[in-house]
Amino acid sequence: MKVLWKYIIPRIIQYLVVIFVGITITFFAPRFTPLDPVQMTLNRVMSYGAQYLDAETLEHLKETLADLYGLKGNIFEQYVRFWKRLLKGDFGPSLVIFPTPVMEVISTSLPWTVGLLIVSALLSWIIGNFIGGIAGYFNEKRWARVLSVIAASIYPIPYYFMAIILVIVFGYLIPVFPIFGGLSIGIQPSFSWHFVVDLLKHAFLPALSIIIVGIGWWFLSMKALSSSVKSEDFVVYAEITGIPESKILFSYVMKNSLLPQITNLALQIGGIFNGALVTEYVFSYPGMGQTLYMAVTNGDFNLMMGISTMAVVAIATATLLIDLLYPLIDPRIRYQ
Amino acid sequence: MKKAGRFFILAFALFLATTVVLGAPVLPNVPRGDLLIVDALHGRLAVTDFNIWKPGTQAGNGIQQMLMDTLWYVDPTSGEWINALAEEPPIYNEDSTVMTVKLRKGIYWSDGVEFTADDVVFTVKLQMENPGFNYSGPFKTYVKNVYAKDKYTVVFELTKPYPRFHNFFTVLIYGACYIMPKHVFEKVEDPLKFRFDPPVSLGPYVLKDYDKAGYWWFFERREDWQRTSVGMVYGKPKPKYVLFIYYGTDEKKVMAQAQHQLDCIFDLTPEAWETLRKMNPYSKVWYDDFPWAWMDDVAARGICFNLEKFPYNLKEVRWALALAIDIKEVIISGFNGIERMAPLHEAPTTAFTKYYDKPLKEWLKEFELLVPGYGKFKPFDDTLPQQIAEWAKEQGYKVTMDPEDIWGIGWWKYAPDVAEKLLISAGFKKENGKWYLPNGEPWKITILGLPAEIDSVRLAFAVADQWRKFGIDVTVQSVEAGVFWTRWALGDFDAGSYWPASASGIIDIWPLYQGWHKRYYQPTGESAASNQIRWVNNIASDIIDKMATLKPDDPRLIEYSRDLFKVFVEEMPFISTVINKKFNAYDTYVWTNFPSAENPYMSTAWWWGTFKFLLPFLEPTGRAPSSEYGK
Repeated sequence: MKVLWKYIIPRIIQYLVVIFVGITITFFAPRFTPLDPVQMTLNRVMSYGAQYLDAETLEHLKETLADLYGLKGNIFEQYVRFWKRLLKGDFGPSLVIFPTPVMEVISTSLPWTVGLLIVSALLSWIIGNFIGGIAGYFNEKRWARVLSVIAASIYPIPYYFMAIILVIVFGYLIPVFPIFGGLSIGIQPSFSWHFVVDLLKHAFLPALSIIIVGIGWWFLSMKALSSSVKSEDFVVYAEITGIPESKILFSYVMKNSLLPQITNLALQIGGIFNGALVTEYVFSYPGMGQTLYMAVTNGDFNLMMGISTMAVVAIATATLLIDLLYPLIDPRIRYQ
Repeated sequence: MKKAGRFFILAFALFLATTVVLGAPVLPNVPRGDLLIVDALHGRLAVTDFNIWKPGTQAGNGIQQMLMDTLWYVDPTSGEWINALAEEPPIYNEDSTVMTVKLRKGIYWSDGVEFTADDVVFTVKLQMENPGFNYSGPFKTYVKNVYAKDKYTVVFELTKPYPRFHNFFTVLIYGACYIMPKHVFEKVEDPLKFRFDPPVSLGPYVLKDYDKAGYWWFFERREDWQRTSVGMVYGKPKPKYVLFIYYGTDEKKVMAQAQHQLDCIFDLTPEAWETLRKMNPYSKVWYDDFPWAWMDDVAARGICFNLEKFPYNLKEVRWALALAIDIKEVIISGFNGIERMAPLHEAPTTAFTKYYDKPLKEWLKEFELLVPGYGKFKPFDDTLPQQIAEWAKEQGYKVTMDPEDIWGIGWWKYAPDVAEKLLISAGFKKENGKWYLPNGEPWKITILGLPAEIDSVRLAFAVADQWRKFGIDVTVQSVEAGVFWTRWALGDFDAGSYWPASASGIIDIWPLYQGWHKRYYQPTGESAASNQIRWVNNIASDIIDKMATLKPDDPRLIEYSRDLFKVFVEEMPFISTVINKKFNAYDTYVWTNFPSAENPYMSTAWWWGTFKFLLPFLEPTGRAPSSEYGK
């Protein structure tokens, strides 16, 4: 009961407050920019061959668009309408791709983002921490030092540069992988080997680019952590008592070093709803990053809010889950 | 551990073996010789909506080119008038209050329903009855009544004399009001929310499949292509399939065309083109040699000012800024020498150069500015094309054509000394090499640029360099499209790198320039559909009024247009600089007979509505397997 009132409930309240504030900020922020979705639409109409509109016609069209887009009324009236819709799970129509509902636009892109980023995040986390943990424990070994140099060299490479190199090498010079899209043209999702191979073929280069850069970071951070934990008293004591080295490495050093890495992983996974814009742009991968970019550059308030709301909720939820699960992982927190 | 490692290596090798395809075709199940692959103008566009009649729906990713049709088209390059769904040009009565349209017989929608006058009448009436459609406003303004006189004749009764009403149904540049299928839309409850998916086509192709993620649209030629305007006017569109695709970055478009997996590119930077032409000897743009680029796009770039803001409301200041630009340096340093100068406030396309630039060259040479403290000054320099040609030869390029045909007839002299006198006459001061406003404050200019339109930013930076050399504190602010265009409409800028000058294939410039009339003025802060620089000029407005009274084919329009351009020059409301050149590269490996400088039969604008009419002219090379053309 004490745990419920002192630990769980405060965190849940904090979670709800964070979501409320985050969503409110995402609502107001675009409206304080020079972006005007009605004006953007008028610009498109003008540039596509419609004659110049006289002032009266222009005003009429502006009013119609504002009504269609739900932008009528002052900003607080729009805010209240927004919450009424949101509580029903409706973000309204996309303004750029009117009248396609925002949830439909997001649902088209989200599976690609989730699939690519979760897998890439997990793989880079597992590989980076595993190798980094071992390298940190055996930090005096030559191979550990070599790996550190490699990781330190890869980590600062600008991601865009890495991604383009992969495209050029494996998409053009040795063209084994496609250079755009999530699936080959005409392939429909199905439970078939053909579909799975095609999906993996298209995801390989984007995932590889994320994993390579991600491994660098996880390796370096885990190596630092495990080097530090290795010098702690309980590890020294374990060595003195003759516990096998492998047991010390995995059960003592790695296990304790992983604690902050778990938090970072949770936050990273929570952040995938923003997509990976550069990855998607370079590889033309149909994820949320480009969708969000399109929304921002075209003043699509509804789509921006839809994606941002999901990102806020995802990160806040990940943080809450980590907070609630941490006592189960770290006995020190449990005892507290 | 070793066994596990060997297993993974074998699995990876098997995975690669099942997937390795050298130069993998983008559509492996379709013979490459049957397929034309085109770069998608709008980029990634995750839409399941083909109702292009409502505001904001993008139509340039193949939808308007392949599926839509309207009454008339004009190709801006050749100037050719095309009677598409209409059998002949529009017929007006004496006072231009009634327009009669005779439609072609035997045209069918792709679902087998015949196209008739009812479709045209329905298109107009539906938009009039539903405010919010793209043409609701214009139709309500001009149409008193519209009806089908018979199955193939439409009569428009107009609210007032308007001999250009047909322009709403004429693709002069990009698009127009396309005709809706009555038999589809009449069953729809809310036409403004109707997605029109799958779309019924009036064009020569149908939409066979598309990517809901927004990267490709796959069109197949209709079996009854003879029952379309393209088929009737020019014959069979040669590609059996057309794929509009968005590969992404310029690097990937270059790679795709080098692998012969992208036939038509929308635009490349000069650097990307340079790489492509070395990688793929089959790639071409317009000229065989330097400068390669297509320079017939119907817009010209300019540095625009908000004329309601001081000091840009002063003509002397605008002229001074123009004379402080060394356009040769701008073209060389900003565009690698690949640009055509636009001294008049229009786009110097092949057609407009013939009607306006060359005829007005003598006038430009004799045009004088009265400069206090200097006297009369003739600002025009007609030697600039030759100077740039000399520079090109020094770089090792071959220049085989008349330099004027490539770089334009000339531009303003680089005369910072005269510019200085103009500014001093307006109360400006120069101290220690820096200019100060009459109120003593340092003169700062911010030029807006649009990164998505790379030449907008190149021009902004190149001009900023010139003005900084002159002694003005200039900043270039690159902003995203949303902000760029909103600020343009509201007049929220001092200076901006926009493209306000236009051209088309017809002598009647009134549709393009009517927006400069003072009636369209909106004060700064109010949204303006045109004349975003807030220029109010009685003489220009009078000329535009005179042009409005003439029929579109009246030869007097050319004289009035020339008079209008003279007013623009005198007043210099914006500094017209260079044309919107494009590196819209095409690959001649699979398809040939694209338009070019040697054979300029049509525009090479794959994103315009006229693109469908180019397809019957293409010829297969025979290098790729085809189900229709041998191999």
